[in-house]
Amino acid sequence: MGLQLIDFVEARGNIVRNCPGTKHHICCGYKTIDLVEGCILSCSYCILKGYINTPNIRINSDMPYILSQIKGFIDTEKTHILRFGTGELSDSLAIDRRYRLNRPLIEFFGETKRAILELKSKWAQIEHLIPYLNPYTVISFSLAPQRIIDKEEKRTSPLYKRLRAAKKAQDCGCFVGLHFDPVIIYDGFEKDYEYLIGDIGRIIDLKRVLWVSLGLLRFPPRLFERFLEENRKNLLYGEFVRGEDGKYRYIKKERVKIYKMLYSLLKEQENDLFIYLCMERKEVWRGAIGTTPEDNEALMGFFDSRVKTLYGGTL
Amino acid sequence: MQNIPIEQINANDRKFCISYPLKDGVLLSSINKIGVIQPLLVLGRRPYIVVSGFRRLEAAQELGFTDIPCIVVDMDEKKAMLSSIHSNLGRTLNIIEKAYCVDKMFTMGFSREEISDVMGIISLGFHEKIIKRMRDLANADDAVKDFVVKKNLNMQNVESLLRFANYEISGIIDALSTIHTTESMLREILRMLSILKLKNGDIDFSIIKGVDNQYDLKKRLKCSINPILSELEEDLNEIKEKCALPPEIDIKVDPFFEKEYIDMHIRANNPEDVGRALLKINSILDAGYIRSIFGLTTY
Repeated sequence: MGLQLIDFVEARGNIVRNCPGTKHHICCGYKTIDLVEGCILSCSYCILKGYINTPNIRINSDMPYILSQIKGFIDTEKTHILRFGTGELSDSLAIDRRYRLNRPLIEFFGETKRAILELKSKWAQIEHLIPYLNPYTVISFSLAPQRIIDKEEKRTSPLYKRLRAAKKAQDCGCFVGLHFDPVIIYDGFEKDYEYLIGDIGRIIDLKRVLWVSLGLLRFPPRLFERFLEENRKNLLYGEFVRGEDGKYRYIKKERVKIYKMLYSLLKEQENDLFIYLCMERKEVWRGAIGTTPEDNEALMGFFDSRVKTLYGGTL
Repeated sequence: MQNIPIEQINANDRKFCISYPLKDGVLLSSINKIGVIQPLLVLGRRPYIVVSGFRRLEAAQELGFTDIPCIVVDMDEKKAMLSSIHSNLGRTLNIIEKAYCVDKMFTMGFSREEISDVMGIISLGFHEKIIKRMRDLANADDAVKDFVVKKNLNMQNVESLLRFANYEISGIIDALSTIHTTESMLREILRMLSILKLKNGDIDFSIIKGVDNQYDLKKRLKCSINPILSELEEDLNEIKEKCALPPEIDIKVDPFFEKEYIDMHIRANNPEDVGRALLKINSILDAGYIRSIFGLTTY
C-alpha cells in the first residue's frame, strides 16, 4: 500500500448525519460524525475500500461547525437519547493521539450531558484522552479473535491491548461498548470466539458495558472480487448470498446459528448485557435472540432503556 | 508491388504478427477462388520478413501457391510493428490480437505513451493490471488462446481464467470446451471455481467431470460452494412436488431464502378458476406444505 496523505479540509455540508443503515434491515438510529474520512488501519474486509475512492485521509477541521451540527440534532430530538459516533468512515482513535481531534467532542458531550459520544476503534491508545474523559463518552472496541487480527487487521492493536484499554476506560469512569463486527466464519471460529468471550469476561467489568453489537461479515459485491483476487480465504470461507440490500452476507440459516451461539456465550458471562444485532432482519433477531424490535424506532427505544438503566437520571 | 516466391519469405518470423488464429476458413476459400488481392507488406531484407499479411500467407501456403504479391518496404522494427497494427485496425481485433499488440510493443521497447496511444485505439484502458493480463495472455499456451477466442471471452473472464495455475486452466478448458456457455454463465462458473479453489486450496475436477451442459455444471459447483442453499432448494423442490401444483398456481420463494415472505401466483380466466385455485391452496395448507415452505425461511 502506498503513502497515505492527510488532508485538512474545512467542513462543508452535513458532517453529522443519520447512519445510512441498510434497506430491509433493522437499524439503530445512530448518528455519525464524519470527522475523519478514511483510515490508516486498512483492514482487509474494510467496507470503506468499496466506498471511498482515495487512499488519503480527510480531516474535517472546522470543529465549531461540527459542534453546531451536533447541537442541532440534540436540540431537535424530543424522544430518544441520541448516540453519536465518529467510527463510521474511519477509526475513532487511530490518528487521534497525533491530531487530537476527539478532545473537543468529548468536552462538548461532557458539558451538554444530553447525548452520548461513542469512540469506536481497533486502536488501543487512550492515554492522551484520559484527563478529558467523562461518562458521556463511551470508548468502544471492535473485537475479534487474535487469529483474525493477525490475518485481516494487520495494522491494528492486538486483542489484549484493546481489552486493556477498555478496562482502563472503565477505570476512568466511562462505560464501554464492545463490537463483534465483523464476525467472520472460518475453520475453527466457534472455539476462538468462545475463548475470546471468556477473555473479555476475565478482563472487563461486564456490568459497565453499555452495549454489545453483533454483526456478521457483510460487504458490497465489488469487495467480493477483491477478496478473491487477494486470496482472502478467511473472508470467503462461509456460504454467502446476496441480501435484499445487494450486499453479500452469510446465508440466513448460518447467521441465526452463529448469533445464537455468540448471544448465549455472552449472556453466560453476564446476563444483563445489552446485545443488539447490527443491520439484521427481524427474522434473524427473532431466531437468534428470541425477540425482535418491530422497527428502527423500537430498537432506538431499547437503547433508551439501556442508557437510562445505566445512567439513571443523569441523561 | 511484385510477386515474390513464397520460399524467399521467412514465414516463421512472426515478430510483427498480431493475427490469431492464423488459419481463417473464409479467407482460405476466398483466396482459393480469386487469389491474393491485397499484397503482403514485407521488409526488403533476405529472407523477406512479413510485416502484415500473415493470414494471407498462411492460406496461400496451404493452397500450394508458389508466389504471392508483396509490397517491399524498408523501415525500422518499431515502424514495422506500428504498420502491422494499423493495417489490422480495419477489422475487429479479438482479445488475443489485442494482447499481441501490447506485448510486442513492450518487447520492442516502445515508450509508455506510444503503448498508451495504441491501447486507446484498440479500446484497452492503459492500466498496469490490464497490461499485465494482456502480456500474460499473449504468452499463454495455444490451448488457452484457442479457448479464449473460441468462447469469445471478455476481459473480465480472461482475468478470472488467468488467475488459476496452468494445470487448473487445462482442467477448466477440458471441462468447458465441450459445452455451450453464455458469457455471463462463464463468468459465474469461473467465479465459482475461484471460490472453490480458495476454500479448498485446490479444485477437485472430478465433481465437474462429464457435465452435460452449463446448467448441470453450475448446479454441481453450487452444491460444493453453497451446500446449505442447495439443500434448501432441494427441500423446496420436494415440497413443491408434493404440492402437485397445477400450472395456474405458483409459489415463489426468495432464491436466497432471505426474505421471510412467499409469493403465490394464481392465473385465472374466470371466477371458477379462482375458486379451483383457492381449493387447491386450501388443500396444501391443510396438508402442512405451506408451513413447511415457511420453515425454510424462518427460524
